[in-house]
Amino acid sequence: MEWNFRNDLPIYSQLVEQIKRGIVSGAFAPGERLSSVREMATEAGVNPNTMQRALQELERQGLVYSQRTAGRFVTEDTQTIEDSKRALAREQTEAFRKAMETLGYDRAEIVALLQEEA
Amino acid sequence: MPILECRELSKRFGKTAALDNVSLKLEPGRVIGLLGPNGSGKTTLIKLCNGLLTPSEGEILIDGEAPGPKTKAIVSYLSDKEYLPDWMSTRQLMDFFEDFYQDFDRQRAEEMLLRLGLDEKQKVKTMSKGTREKVQLILVMSRRAKLYLLDEPIGGVDPATRDYILDTIIRNYNPEAAVLISTHLIADVEQVLDEVIFIQNGQILLQSDVDSIREEKGMSVDQYFREVFKC
Amino acid sequence: MLSKLLKQEFRATGRIMLPVLAALLLLSVLGNFSIRMMDQNVTNNAVLRFLFVFLIIVFVLGMFAAVLMTLLLMITRFYRNLLKDEGYLMHTLPVSVHGLVWSKLIVSLVWFVVTGLVVTAILFLTGLIQSGTNLGELMMEFPSWAEIREAMAEAGFRGSDITVFLLELLALVGFFATCLHFYAAMAMGHMFNKDKILLSIVFFVVISFALSMMTSLLAFRIDSLELYVAEFDSAQVLGFMNRLLRFSLIVELIQGALLYFATTLSLRRGLNLA
Repeated sequence: MEWNFRNDLPIYSQLVEQIKRGIVSGAFAPGERLSSVREMATEAGVNPNTMQRALQELERQGLVYSQRTAGRFVTEDTQTIEDSKRALAREQTEAFRKAMETLGYDRAEIVALLQEEA
Repeated sequence: MPILECRELSKRFGKTAALDNVSLKLEPGRVIGLLGPNGSGKTTLIKLCNGLLTPSEGEILIDGEAPGPKTKAIVSYLSDKEYLPDWMSTRQLMDFFEDFYQDFDRQRAEEMLLRLGLDEKQKVKTMSKGTREKVQLILVMSRRAKLYLLDEPIGGVDPATRDYILDTIIRNYNPEAAVLISTHLIADVEQVLDEVIFIQNGQILLQSDVDSIREEKGMSVDQYFREVFKC
Repeated sequence: MLSKLLKQEFRATGRIMLPVLAALLLLSVLGNFSIRMMDQNVTNNAVLRFLFVFLIIVFVLGMFAAVLMTLLLMITRFYRNLLKDEGYLMHTLPVSVHGLVWSKLIVSLVWFVVTGLVVTAILFLTGLIQSGTNLGELMMEFPSWAEIREAMAEAGFRGSDITVFLLELLALVGFFATCLHFYAAMAMGHMFNKDKILLSIVFFVVISFALSMMTSLLAFRIDSLELYVAEFDSAQVLGFMNRLLRFSLIVELIQGALLYFATTLSLRRGLNLA
């Protein structure tokens, strides 16, 4: 997995975001066991505490769960993953729509444009 | 209990104050960046912490003790100098570290050497600058110390070595140990840090979490640093 | 920890002193051979004769050089290992300053004594070989320690054991004090930010001056009248010798202790590695 960080956001929230994308895109399969915090931190080149915090946030969101001895896993609940994917898609759509609106397009014109593209 | 505590610490050389009334605490399990321009007092602070200098005023406590043989046993120090005796081979250096430091993990050192394809029998004298730096780092990071003091570990090394050094620091992360990294190259280390300390003219300007700065300022620590230290 | 420091110090110095001693032994063989050759006028070849003379000179100079080397090493080890970049390693070891200084003192002493013994042995053997004396015969004729003591006692030098002991002790303390004179000067000179070597030399001179002042002041304490006793017997001479030795020993001990204190204090409180 490719890790990229922007300057204007906390590293922790970018990690949450990027791992979430990994999960919804299938780079991390449902039920897949994740590497240890240290390994993931090494791979991403980030502080282990920051990685730990990001994974805890993902746990809180239900995308990841941990078993005391076995480690951390991606949730097997495909519904949760689907919901997350939906939420991300909505965010993107919203951002896109706003960007188009600043260019002066209205809803119908945007839809027409998209159909033209396809 | 903090692993390192400085209380109203000052160090003067003649009339110039290299460190001026510094108070700070470092907690275990954290990777902390000591950031400041050249000549801001970073090296002086680190030297005071490992007993290479004596404070003019104030005190330093490492795990509750003033610097001495006892604290040196739990502090692992990487100098910005090439300080290994040049007649020794890497193997002899490992014997040396094993002899003096109870927390030296020889197996870990040997693994790291192997990973880099370094020959244990090579003498320091015949090593390139980069190899020397790697051997120093391996020896220092192979100790299971409670406090690592790394003085400019990435200054003047090539990008591959820099990545290796940062990688080694993450890989050897220990929740019971604190790592203090002094540098003026912030962009390179920012991601591996929990916390940063800004130092200028021997005074602490700020001590804060990396993500707090990014969150509050909406910019990287590197950008913020440039803003604070703008000339 | 002292034993570990000693081990490291022997390793660091042995790699220089062992080859020096080996070279000295080789030189002594070559030198002796050359002396024999010249002595017996084996050849008239100018080149060979020059070579023999050259080897004899190198042999003699080599013995001086080896002893000098131990002293030079005593100074350079302290300087390079504790006051230059290697100091970053040595002063962050979990050892006390006392351990660092004593390991240097002891190892310097050992090399000085070993080299001295080797040189003495070489001179002795050279004398034997060149005079054609048989070692076995000589040993037979050589008086035992007990016989020497008896002879001394007969001559009226009773209690010469203590004199010998005092001499040995004085040599030991004197050697340490000499080392510490160099150590203290260097440690003090290196407390400063600039001109460290120059200041070390200045401190060396200042300390020399202070020490000789101190010795002269203390010397008034010894009853020098005894020197002018017109009629003295051997027992009196010995008594005076012992008093003189004891006095010197006390002076060296005081000076050594002061220098030791100056050295360790400078290293502990004034360390200022560049």
